[in-house]
Amino acid sequence: MAAMVAPENTPVWVNTDRCKACDICVDACPAGVLSMMAEPTSTLGAMISVIAPEACIGCNECELTCPDFAIYVAEKKEFKFAKLTDASKARQEAIVNNKYRLPSGY
Amino acid sequence: MATREVISTGNELSAIAAVDAGCEFFGGYPLTPSSEVMHVLSDLLPKVGGVSIQMEDEIAGICAVIGASMVGQRAMTATSGPGISLKAENLGLAQMAEVPLVCVNVMRGGPSTGLPTRVSQGDVAQAKNPSHGDYKSITLCAGNLAECYTETVRAFNLADRFMQPVFVLLDETLGHMHGKAEIPTAEAVKAGIVPRKKFDGPADEYFPYEAAQDEPAVLNPMYEGYRYHFTGLHHDKNGFPTEEIHTCKALIERLFNKVEAHEDELESYEEFMMDDAEVMIIAYGSVSLAAKESIRHLRDEGIKAGLFRPITLWPSPVDAIRKWTSKIDKVLCVELNIGQYHDEIQRASGRLDIEELFKVNGRPISPYEIVNKVKEL
Amino acid sequence: MAFNYDQYLRLEKMPTLWCWGCGDGVILKAFIRAVDKLGIGQDDMCVVSGIGCSGRFSSYVDFNTVHTTHGRTIAYATGIKLANPSKYVVCVAGDGDALAIGGNHTIHGCRRNIDITMIVIQNFIYGLTNSQTSPTTPQGMWTVTQKAGNIDPTFDACELAIAAGASFVGRETVNAPKKMEKMITQALEHRGFSFVELNSNCHINLGRKNKMVSAMENLDWIDSITVSKRKYDTLPPEEQMNLLPTGILKQDTEVREYCDMYQDIIDVHQGKRGKITQDDFVKKI
Repeated sequence: MAAMVAPENTPVWVNTDRCKACDICVDACPAGVLSMMAEPTSTLGAMISVIAPEACIGCNECELTCPDFAIYVAEKKEFKFAKLTDASKARQEAIVNNKYRLPSGY
Repeated sequence: MATREVISTGNELSAIAAVDAGCEFFGGYPLTPSSEVMHVLSDLLPKVGGVSIQMEDEIAGICAVIGASMVGQRAMTATSGPGISLKAENLGLAQMAEVPLVCVNVMRGGPSTGLPTRVSQGDVAQAKNPSHGDYKSITLCAGNLAECYTETVRAFNLADRFMQPVFVLLDETLGHMHGKAEIPTAEAVKAGIVPRKKFDGPADEYFPYEAAQDEPAVLNPMYEGYRYHFTGLHHDKNGFPTEEIHTCKALIERLFNKVEAHEDELESYEEFMMDDAEVMIIAYGSVSLAAKESIRHLRDEGIKAGLFRPITLWPSPVDAIRKWTSKIDKVLCVELNIGQYHDEIQRASGRLDIEELFKVNGRPISPYEIVNKVKEL
Repeated sequence: MAFNYDQYLRLEKMPTLWCWGCGDGVILKAFIRAVDKLGIGQDDMCVVSGIGCSGRFSSYVDFNTVHTTHGRTIAYATGIKLANPSKYVVCVAGDGDALAIGGNHTIHGCRRNIDITMIVIQNFIYGLTNSQTSPTTPQGMWTVTQKAGNIDPTFDACELAIAAGASFVGRETVNAPKKMEKMITQALEHRGFSFVELNSNCHINLGRKNKMVSAMENLDWIDSITVSKRKYDTLPPEEQMNLLPTGILKQDTEVREYCDMYQDIIDVHQGKRGKITQDDFVKKI
């Protein structure tokens, strides 16, 4: 298998050189791990950010649905992922309802 | 060169030549009067382990040929005027991506459906520019049965040398003419095969489209460790699409220069009784057979006629045309179309008074018609 | 460790020129995972793409790649495959390329059952050239060539492929990347013509004036028009009419593949067997 070494102690990481801020991974995440942030220098004025890595459950949906090779998830056998909590689900809902951006003050 | 005598038709000779010249793939579609080339190859190619496939249409025919050539095989198609029209877009891709192939056109009456079973030379102008855009055509024209064989062989070697399609024009008369021909032996042809160039170095130093401005691309066969990209878009040295202004300019100029800088390798013509000629007849293809006969009659009557017969039609033999047309006053262009090569003779010679004998009703021109026309001049 | 796509990419061409959220990238990743899973060497694969956004697919992958004229991927691929039948040949084309201008070649690739994998990226529109009607754009949608509303009827490409003789036919959507990967894997392994339709989102062109401005809205619409074949078979015709079944729709491992049959022709001409007759075939017409 073509493999890359994961950064230490990291469940999910992004390549901001490749991200086009399409929102798909933020929409796909069940646990509120990801959010778009304002980024004036990028084409759509936004950029992906991993805001709550500790909540990542390792479902891989973000990696599978990203069209641009911009997000990666560690392997289950190498990283102890979290469980999905009500708090994570609530944060995810807040992000989705706020156009894929974590509401200020959350 | 060792030769053998055979009795055959022009179409069959072209097919045999292809196999002798190392052709491994034929893709085509039936089109009168070229179909016999495909019929013969459908037996000859599998016999030597090659593939001959009748595709679903003319376009699929040329695409399959280009595909096989991209893999590295010598590949060919055979068709007539309407087929060239259909194939035009993809012939352009072969020019742009520098994919060698041989395209035989057994010309028939046109335009459109025209006269499917009758002769013409109406696709000469088309052979110069079948597709849109800028590129330089290489077009050979067989003038007798033996040349149906030898020009097909030459076409394969030229296609690999210049890395582009090469047209071989026959016409219905020659394609269906059945007679004796003295042709090289298969062994002699095989010994004369010059395959396309190959890069032998490490893959990360291989740039297929990075060639000198007067040289073609060096395209290694597929699946051998040299991975690159073929496209009809403007492309860089790896074959990847680009719109960069200098790269695009250099690419088109190289597509022209690779042929123009080496026209001496392409030039081929016959000068029949030209040394003391006072009347110059210009004819090619099956018309040249009538022209030669007419010259024998004319000379018997004291008229010193000679034949200048281009064999490579495109690029045209400008220097030779100029040499003769600047010496000889009476120049007559005889062709089975309304002056497609006549235009080129006038362009190359700078003269606007080149005489005409044209025929476009699907019938051959007889020697007597040429004799009578010359007497009128 | 994580799956590293970079080995299979021409990195100097990244990022892709596809729009943000375009399903083409998701399909590309599923394809790479399938190739990697099967252990296919990069030198043993040829990817042939057509014209359109999907046409750029071939320039991004580090295989032997060919970018052809509009509609002709299968015709080129037929020559490429016959020139070396032992290698993998994959066509990638959009719905316009494969079903409009390329319809005839699609029919005959299926008919010959030649061992090529045909991936049709079905986004129901002409994307690259800005929203012209494709043979599968739903009637009533806005397109730039039918701003009054599209009147052109559509057809089911998978049914065409089945009728024309493809021996492996399947459909998946960009909403299910793992299922796409599995189907592509099965299609590559299948010896015969594998027709795989992958429904994808073009929110920038199809969605823009058809109430699906974001990728997610377009993806939800694709979800709403597809259903598993198992469920599809239980539905009445009025419901089936507005749905596309997903999953493997046909798989025939008995029917002979074209290159294998051509070897018989070579054998006849080399005197290794007698002529091929009607008795050599189960299907007599």
